[in-house]
Amino acid sequence: MPEARAHLRLLIIAGVASLWMGAVFGRLTYLQLFRHSEYLARAQRQQQRTIEITPKRGTIYDRNRSPLAMSIQVDSAFGVPAEIADEQLATRLLSGVIGKPQEELEARFESSRSFVWIARKLPPAKAEAIAALNLKGVYLQKENQRFYPKRDLAAHVLGFVDLDEKGLGGIEYELDNQIRGESGKIVVMEDARKRWFDATQAKLKSGADVVLTLDEKIQYVAERELDVAIAQTHAIAGSVIVMNPNTGEILALANWPKFNPNRASDAPAEARMDRAVSALYEPGSTFKLVTLAAAFNERITRPDEVFDCENGSVLVAGHRIHDHKPFGMLSVAQVLAKSSDVGAIKIALRLQSPRFYDYIRAFGFGAPTGVDLPGESKGLLRPLENWGSFSIGSISMGQEIGVTPIQLIAAVSAIANGGLLYRPHVVEELRRGDRVLPAEGVLTPEEPRRVIRPDTAATLRRLMEGVVLEGTGPEARLDGWTSAGKTGSAQKIDPATGRYSRTHFIASFTGFAPINNPAITILVSLDSPVGLHEGGEVAAPVFKRIAEQVLTYLDIPRDVPLNPKLIQAAYKKQAAGDRSALEDFSTVDFSAQPDSPPPAQKPAKGERRPGREFNKPPATVAVEQGGEIEVPDFSGKTMREVADISLKLGLDPVLVGSSLATKQSPAAGAKVRRGARITVQFGTTLEKNSKPRQGNRN
Amino acid sequence: MKRIKRKARAAEFHTVKRIDNSRLVRNVEPAKLQKLWRTVAMGSMVAAFFMLYIFQHFRCIDLSFQLEDLKAQHMKAAALNSELRLEIAGLRNPMRIDVIARRRLGLTQPLPTQVQDYEAPDGAEVAAARYVRPNRAP
Repeated sequence: MPEARAHLRLLIIAGVASLWMGAVFGRLTYLQLFRHSEYLARAQRQQQRTIEITPKRGTIYDRNRSPLAMSIQVDSAFGVPAEIADEQLATRLLSGVIGKPQEELEARFESSRSFVWIARKLPPAKAEAIAALNLKGVYLQKENQRFYPKRDLAAHVLGFVDLDEKGLGGIEYELDNQIRGESGKIVVMEDARKRWFDATQAKLKSGADVVLTLDEKIQYVAERELDVAIAQTHAIAGSVIVMNPNTGEILALANWPKFNPNRASDAPAEARMDRAVSALYEPGSTFKLVTLAAAFNERITRPDEVFDCENGSVLVAGHRIHDHKPFGMLSVAQVLAKSSDVGAIKIALRLQSPRFYDYIRAFGFGAPTGVDLPGESKGLLRPLENWGSFSIGSISMGQEIGVTPIQLIAAVSAIANGGLLYRPHVVEELRRGDRVLPAEGVLTPEEPRRVIRPDTAATLRRLMEGVVLEGTGPEARLDGWTSAGKTGSAQKIDPATGRYSRTHFIASFTGFAPINNPAITILVSLDSPVGLHEGGEVAAPVFKRIAEQVLTYLDIPRDVPLNPKLIQAAYKKQAAGDRSALEDFSTVDFSAQPDSPPPAQKPAKGERRPGREFNKPPATVAVEQGGEIEVPDFSGKTMREVADISLKLGLDPVLVGSSLATKQSPAAGAKVRRGARITVQFGTTLEKNSKPRQGNRN
Repeated sequence: MKRIKRKARAAEFHTVKRIDNSRLVRNVEPAKLQKLWRTVAMGSMVAAFFMLYIFQHFRCIDLSFQLEDLKAQHMKAAALNSELRLEIAGLRNPMRIDVIARRRLGLTQPLPTQVQDYEAPDGAEVAAARYVRPNRAP
């Protein structure tokens, strides 16, 4: 029957379909139940990848959170030689892009089949060029690279890193563990197209950010003035340190020669040396401060006590010591101001070696200051038992002892702040995000140590002011602020003869300003200046230029009136090319700058090129600095008299009121320019005019 | 099959038998119907469960892709941010600003005497100062 046939066919089809479904179902069951773990493992091997993540190195900021060193991601090119079909072609193309010899690349490809670096940390243009080549087996990988956006600013403090971002100098080295952070791993799952669809990351400890005590602007001022001083004196090296004497914070630390940490490997080793903490030198006359500090603190002398300086020559323990001038009778204050070695020796002899040694150690000499920079030298101070018969004499005038600039500025800061020796430091804090990390290790804060009494410090400050006012450091006198300091001109040892050289000196000046409430201490040191070599001649002017700019920047109130003579000279002699009147104010000679100046005017042959400020009359000088005509006193005069006098002087009178002159503006005695307006009030009551103020009123 | 004995051909009359089954009513069994719907519902739920499971599985994978994409975009944005911060820091280099100020703009460093504290004068003095400025020779 036809129905029976149809039924049979249906049964056959159903049976086949059931068999097929059963087979599929059975296979699925087998794979997913019995071989589940095996296939899961295969899938994980295929999809899962572990990537090591190097944490981004922490950023280094100045005290105002301006970044001085930071890391960003850049591309590095690597190759998998096993995947490269035509190595010759690949190496030829790559060598054209990255600029390396083809043979070098071929040798690298032969060294390994799985992974070779082609070039690390490429500039964006080269990375794009390699990506554009689209070579199989050549890949780009992100790596962190350290950049120093301010170039050589504070290079010695910041330090530098190697290719693997390991710190090799400065703060980068000193705090490498904290800045570097800890690397972690990411486990990623990727599909056939290498797209990630899952990633689990172990907790990554990012690098800590460092906030320094440096102020980048003060640092720039210090570096610029040091550059100028080096160019002018042809010294072979120099250092400048600016410090807050009340806290030990270092606001600027500049060395010359310097280097660009972005290209540290190109710089010679001597340029990378942080002379401010590592270089030893005999401090010379500057060390008389320690001698006198000890003597005053022990009350064995007074500033007004007079010593016989033996006409500039004395014989002590078989050694003949000469002063730079034949001084006769000098008070202790004058011994410091005029820098008499004979006077200092006599004071030290009264102090005697054991007490003197104790004070030297108390001021921090002969031991590291503990500054948070690497490579600090502890200086050179012989133990007391090794002192010779004349050591006390030598050391009292700053010889037979080696100090570092950082030690010296810390000691002078102790005098400036009233007798407390602070540990100098450049690191303010470590941060991770918004969290301030606890200070530990080299960053642990230390309590200051008292080395001299406050009255001793006050006495010394006064005497140091004498050095500037009437002694060897008049070039350090500031416009608008009091200052104090000590010059130093130490002979260097001639390595050929082993004796003190007559031609090579370390010229230095260490001082602070203002006197009553010192805001900054500055040390300037120049190694082997050519020609002028006295500290008062070459280092003190640098101190002055830096101090004036820094005190203005810090908005420190002036404590002395400005010198009106300077104002007048600046205004009158303004002709381009005539620098004579403004030599007192020369702040910066930009002939030392790397950029060539604009061709505004060429100097005459043999004449120094004038600074930029002489090409145009400064617009604000006349307004701020007064004029040539002294305003007379109009009190009690009639309107006609006032008008006559004003017109004769060339002034423009504005007469208000009637009767007799009672009040005027500007006040009598003020300096104004021709054509300036004078307002005179008239009335019946006569008012006393105020004392004329300095500077302009127009 | 039985062999059909052929008879002599006779006239054939075809009639159409009309069958009217409209009065026939199929006996509906409620219990069976309920069972049927219950079975359908349960089957649908099972199917829906499996559909949902499969849907969320692949949706998770799809969202993971999107999440990783967003993470990659975030990392790119963070990297760009770092690069821009670096560029800003370079532009704010004091030396660069100093050179531009002095050499390109012709600015000079103020003398110490030109930086003064400003005391608010009374009205007459301010008027005098304002007057002088435009009159000064360039």
